Amino acid sequence: MTRRSVMSSTTLTVVLKNFYDEYMKNTPKKLKIVDAYLTYILVTGVLQFVYCCLVGTFPFNSFLSGFICTIGCFVLGVSLRLQANPQNKIHFRGISPERGFADFIFAHIILHLVTMNFIG
Amino acid sequence: MLRLAVFVVCLASALGFNTLVLVDTLATRETHSIFLKSLQERGHEVSVKAADDPSLQLSRYGEYIYQNLVILAPGVEEFGGALSVETIVEFVDGGGNVLVAGSRDAADLIRELVTEVGVEMDEEGAAVIDHLHYDANDDGQHTLIAAPSSGLIESEVMVGPRDAVPLLYRGTGLITDADNPLVLPVLRAPSTAYCYNPTQSISDYPHATGQNMLLVAALQARNNARVVVSGSLEFFSDAFIMASVQTPQGAFYERSGNGKVVEALSQWVFKEEGVLRVVSVQHHLQGEKEPPVAYTIKQDVEYKIKVERLVDGVWKPFMSNDLQVEFVRIDPFIRLIMTPNKDGVFSVTFKVPDVYGVYQFKVEYNRVGFTRLFSTTQVSVRPFTHVEYERFIECAYPYYASAFSMMVGVFLFSMVFLHHKESPHKTKAE
Repeated sequence: MTRRSVMSSTTLTVVLKNFYDEYMKNTPKKLKIVDAYLTYILVTGVLQFVYCCLVGTFPFNSFLSGFICTIGCFVLGVSLRLQANPQNKIHFRGISPERGFADFIFAHIILHLVTMNFIG
Repeated sequence: MLRLAVFVVCLASALGFNTLVLVDTLATRETHSIFLKSLQERGHEVSVKAADDPSLQLSRYGEYIYQNLVILAPGVEEFGGALSVETIVEFVDGGGNVLVAGSRDAADLIRELVTEVGVEMDEEGAAVIDHLHYDANDDGQHTLIAAPSSGLIESEVMVGPRDAVPLLYRGTGLITDADNPLVLPVLRAPSTAYCYNPTQSISDYPHATGQNMLLVAALQARNNARVVVSGSLEFFSDAFIMASVQTPQGAFYERSGNGKVVEALSQWVFKEEGVLRVVSVQHHLQGEKEPPVAYTIKQDVEYKIKVERLVDGVWKPFMSNDLQVEFVRIDPFIRLIMTPNKDGVFSVTFKVPDVYGVYQFKVEYNRVGFTRLFSTTQVSVRPFTHVEYERFIECAYPYYASAFSMMVGVFLFSMVFLHHKESPHKTKAE
């Protein structure tokens, strides 16, 4: 192993460690909950994609609705996270956090209606 | 006897064969009596008239009086009455059949007429010459050709069953455009033949040589009207039909092949032979009788088409093992060979493709010597309705699970998220 790569790998761990520490210290707990939720969605989506690659696309509508449902949930989750982040308050002036959450739920209802319709 | 005569007249009018024969001189009636008599025997109402008769007309009050026109008048400079090249072309466009015979000295009028149907006659005075295939009765110029029957087109419908007897021919050569799919080479010249004026020495290359030269050509127009052009008037004459043939190679035949070929060819050109028609088309779901308003993708469909062929004036079931049906939506999605039964009903069963849209059942049957068979039936194919999709497919359970877990996930998340709202306040208060 060359010196340079040793250095870069150490810097990478340093960066990651800093990032983690920063995240644990400065992120509000509410956002951590959202992040956990997003991670769960991401894992479900990836699992589905892997399953589809292994089994084939046969019930293609089912795959599409299942997969796109996770994508939709992820996008909505990210949107909620943006609105819930206190740092972004300036951008969402006039939209209360309750309103933001209600929008999130409303969008979810529509998303799941469509998903159930299409999943077959 | 009277009853028989009435019957014959009825038969003739039922078949509807009114045939006008145009001649140069009325002597043609005697020299071509076998040909004309065979027409009459087959039920044609034959009227023989001079080609420059001033009372000639093909149609009266917009309807054609004749179905068939025979022009045995190569020398005519101008048609009489209402007849002209234009009216004859219109007659063909209207479905009429024409048989034209030319000769070495055919007038420009006949040349113009045959050009209209895609055939070109060689220059005036030029005759087909073959120093290897001539008859013993030739006068030394080798223009009385004994054309081998191998030059005949491979179609029993057009020229009858094939035998080895040569055909006698004396006249001009015909040239056609090889790219024209409507023109058929009925009789090709032997490969050693060429077309030139026999009294002149050959100074330039002949226009028509070998197998590129035709002796008899036929056209089946897109409306199934038929035209036969022969470069020789004598090809149809009694003298040639009754003549014996002696080739320079020493073979001797009691009778020339002209009689049989002329008979078969005239039956073909006047649509007594090789005529097909579609009687009925049926299509429905397998196991049902009536066609649905629209088919659904992946359904099993049965298609039946009844085809008849004219045999001796009577429609008989058509038999063939190469009739195909196509299921076409711009491109054919399915092309299948149909199997006939003894009633001439061709049927096939297939699965509608997994693509919806407006389709056509299309039967297109083009065979040399037969009229074009064309039938299309339009149907629409729709996708599954909402209730027709397959549900609860086993291998789709992970997708179902994921969709439901997303639902449960958002519910649980909401609970936690909403409940959590209080805690930061508490921590702040603490």
